[in-house]
Amino acid sequence: MRIEIDEISKQFGTTAALTPVSLAIPSGALVALLGPSGSGKTTLLRILGGLEFPTSGRVLFDGQDATGLTVQDRRAGFVFQSYALFRHMTVFDNIAYGLNARPRASRPPKAEVTRRVQKLLELIQLPDIGSRYPSQLSGGQRQRVALARALAIEPRMLLLDEPFGALDAKVRKELRQGLRDIHDETGLTTVFVTHDQEEAMELADLVVVMSMGRIEQIGKPADIRARPASQFVREFITA
Amino acid sequence: MSDIPLRSYRPVTTEAPLFRTALIVVVLGILAVLLFAPLITVFYEALRKGALEALTSLANPEALSAIKLTLLVAALAVPLNAVFGIAAAWFITKYDFRGKAFLITLIDLPFSVSPVVAGLCIVLTFGANTAFGGWLVGMGYPIVFALPGIVLASLFVTFPFVARELIPVMIEQGRAEEEAALTLGASGWRVFLTVTLPNIRWALLYGVLLANARAMGEFGAVAVVSGKIRGVTATMPITIEMMYNEYLSVAAFSLAGVLALLALVTLALKTALEIAHADALAANHRH
Amino acid sequence: MGRPLIHRSPIPGLGVSAGITLTMLSLVVLLPIGALLLKGASAGLDVLWHEVNTRRVWGALFLSFRLSFYAALFNLVFGVALAWILVRYRFPGRRLIDAAVDLPFALPTAVAGIALTALYAPNGAFGALAKDLGFKIAYTPLGIFIALVFVGLPFVTRTVQPVIEEIDREVEEASATLGASRAHTICRVILPMLAPAALTGFALSLARAVGEYGSVIFIAGNLPMKTEIAPLLIVIKLEEFNYDGATAIGLAMLVISFALLFVINAVQVWSRRRIGYV
Repeated sequence: MRIEIDEISKQFGTTAALTPVSLAIPSGALVALLGPSGSGKTTLLRILGGLEFPTSGRVLFDGQDATGLTVQDRRAGFVFQSYALFRHMTVFDNIAYGLNARPRASRPPKAEVTRRVQKLLELIQLPDIGSRYPSQLSGGQRQRVALARALAIEPRMLLLDEPFGALDAKVRKELRQGLRDIHDETGLTTVFVTHDQEEAMELADLVVVMSMGRIEQIGKPADIRARPASQFVREFITA
Repeated sequence: MSDIPLRSYRPVTTEAPLFRTALIVVVLGILAVLLFAPLITVFYEALRKGALEALTSLANPEALSAIKLTLLVAALAVPLNAVFGIAAAWFITKYDFRGKAFLITLIDLPFSVSPVVAGLCIVLTFGANTAFGGWLVGMGYPIVFALPGIVLASLFVTFPFVARELIPVMIEQGRAEEEAALTLGASGWRVFLTVTLPNIRWALLYGVLLANARAMGEFGAVAVVSGKIRGVTATMPITIEMMYNEYLSVAAFSLAGVLALLALVTLALKTALEIAHADALAANHRH
Repeated sequence: MGRPLIHRSPIPGLGVSAGITLTMLSLVVLLPIGALLLKGASAGLDVLWHEVNTRRVWGALFLSFRLSFYAALFNLVFGVALAWILVRYRFPGRRLIDAAVDLPFALPTAVAGIALTALYAPNGAFGALAKDLGFKIAYTPLGIFIALVFVGLPFVTRTVQPVIEEIDREVEEASATLGASRAHTICRVILPMLAPAALTGFALSLARAVGEYGSVIFIAGNLPMKTEIAPLLIVIKLEEFNYDGATAIGLAMLVISFALLFVINAVQVWSRRRIGYV
């Protein structure tokens, strides 16, 4: 799905989290929102997911205005920074949550839910952990379960907030490849937020560098490296 | 070297053994006199003329109607309190708005108002001598000196109990799980029932437990609004007072014994919750 | 206004939760307290002052406040000592004692009242002992004091306990390495750390004692000018259908309560600013 951000701004009280920003994300792209903390990247991601509301501007999905769409109707697979797994449910129930939340008419039968959850567990290469609780998983496993849970609703796009932030360096490298594989397999338009320039450059097709609520530069990793558009970008990507 | 005294082998972060023992003895002695002696007295006085006499006194119509009324009041006031506590905690922890601190202060207000003043306030609002209360009496719905007034008084004194337990727990748990459920397509009620409620159930139970103990035992506020009509508006604590003043010692203490047992059960359940579900309660209840 | 009254949120239920919260708060708490204020305003300051300014009312208010202050002071010292042994010392029955500290919260006040009276009346176990020694407890201010200590007992312990648990032992060790004796460490390092929480507990205990009714009226004897507490006077005025009188005393007590609430909040704000926690 194609995502367009049209002159979106966001005020928190008197401070501007986003000065009007515009951005077009082609269908199927893997995009990184890169910037230091306070640059507005998470706010922008949450606006895409329907978890935050812009002060002005529009969000378009495939050319259709989606600004007023509720979070439930957006069908955005969202992976939270802390993963936000339901701590009182097993991994299986976590992943099945979105399917069971559907209205009765479109809810898949039980056997179908089980089949789909099992398929997702295989996709994240953790086929045997369905009966465990989130507290019994490692950080990397939790992240993959969160990803599977988001994929279960057959989302129209995948939004990830610092998906590797809470992990140590070795696991981080593994999971980067995992996300790349899942993206290539599903073909979903994917946007992730990161403050790690190496991660953005290595993983994304398109990098959006942000600072203080503005977009500093949009480009392919190689282009940004070769031709930083501003002093800020130059310093940030070499840091 | 030899003139350095070699005596101190205890860690520097504790006191001398003698001091420790003395402090423990003094503190526990005071607790025995102030806390445990009155508790034992309740049961001692109740059973003074034997268990049969105590049980017989509980079976008299006055005591039975008091027990029924107290159960009825708690059955009305506690669920209302729980609904309020959940709504208030949801409102306060899931949204950002101006005046939140002030709202919390208002919710806590009943803690710092004397129960007797609370009763007075209710009499001045709904009493038969007021315009509104008089009208209600005319319509056949008296509030003061009737069940609604007692429920209202019980609600007033227990008002912050559930909200106070839930708010810190829900702040600590954050909004991410609810947001995650929403992105997965769940409706508001579904989010509450399947995500929020399981996470707050122990804190909710804790608050309900305390609110119930207070509602069943409330005396000052109920004494003012109930009118103390025998068999009609006399709750257990009010009946205890009336019996005691009539020198029906065994009857008064038997009824008091029932409430004391309730208090002990409440403490036991509360402690069990603190031990078994510490991480699901507000931080200041963890030991 | 730069800030909106309420930030838009994707989480549903704003209307329902705000509606229930504000409706119930208004109906159960604000409307009744408002009625008291309104009654006071309609009676007028002259009438209120006339009702309060009698020797009997001053006597009751003074007695309530004085004894509550003594009881809270006792609970301050005792509560800190109790919290200290519960956190730092190990002795048989510690967990049981810890659980029992909340008994005054759980035990109905009327039950506590008649039990204390039975115990401390001249024919009771402790009362008889006092009689042999030549003094009375029940039906004197001393009896009221004991009842007020009972109802306020848990406050200081419960506010101080978590703070003791969080004291970093290295601070105490540092004090020792600097040559301080244990007593010096306690007075100069530990107690100042506990002070804000202990003061909060003191104020809570005081506020509770000033308004206490159930546990006191049985043991007090209720002699005007001697052992008659302010809340009882409200009940008496109401039984005489003297609503102005009850309102006047009720307002006086409400003012005292709010002043205490204000002090509690000020202490908490002050200590949070200074050391980061209460």
